[in-house]
Amino acid sequence: MASTRLTEIGTEISPVTRQVTQEKINLFEDCGILHHANIHTNPEVAKRRLGTSYPIASGRMSITYASEALRKFFGPEAFNHTGVLNLKFLRPVKHGDAITVKGLVSNTQEQDGGTRVFVDLWCENQSGDKTAVGTASALVLRG
Amino acid sequence: MAESTRKLFDYNEVQIGEELGSYEYELTQEMLDKFRQAMDDPEAVFATLAVKHDATAFQMVYDDQTGGVNAGNEVEFFNPPIPGKKIKVTGRVVDKYWRRDKPYFVIEATAVDEDGRLIEKMRTYQMKKPDEVGKKWHPQG
Repeated sequence: MASTRLTEIGTEISPVTRQVTQEKINLFEDCGILHHANIHTNPEVAKRRLGTSYPIASGRMSITYASEALRKFFGPEAFNHTGVLNLKFLRPVKHGDAITVKGLVSNTQEQDGGTRVFVDLWCENQSGDKTAVGTASALVLRG
Repeated sequence: MAESTRKLFDYNEVQIGEELGSYEYELTQEMLDKFRQAMDDPEAVFATLAVKHDATAFQMVYDDQTGGVNAGNEVEFFNPPIPGKKIKVTGRVVDKYWRRDKPYFVIEATAVDEDGRLIEKMRTYQMKKPDEVGKKWHPQG
């Protein structure tokens, strides 16, 4: 059911904060089906390819953090079946960072069966620097 | 992955619209558990995000000696994957372009499970000049 809160422009989504560790990054990478050293898991590969002295977290971890925040905001039935999420990555995320996903309802659009609710969202690190920005939406069903 | 059958990636040669083919894998409960642990989210369901469908499709076809950096992702969620089901992924090259003197390369993949349920569509914007990251974000000490 489309609650007023969900469809009201300016409504904030509840922030989600996650501590990024190399152990978590390695676990994430280990979920894949191709297993090889990469810029996320291996400092030497990161140094050779990126020129950094540290591996960086996959942007898909930020996508997943954002998905969690949006799933909690819209509810799993809406977000897991109609969710759309776009993120542009602005700066590296690495071990020791604490990433917080924040967002605001920016627009709504009536569609068959409900209201598509659009959210402007971003990820910040512990210094308040934006690491990613983007938009998301989900279909909120009519009651 | 059969190393010997992969093509050497050449940005100038790859064609927009090129099919990256299909592959199948089983999304196991162990993968889902590991994904949830990695994300500190016991209710996370799209462990497929960590499989990186589009990038995996690309890596199965190409040997990319340059590498790339993920500049952005677009994802559409349709149905949560069910552990124990096979997932079929089909990938393709969507676009390539230069922006601010950097080459970008866009790939996408669609995932469907063995029952024909659409799971997700993922698109990745890769910047194929990864050493730019170190130049811009070199660690301070």
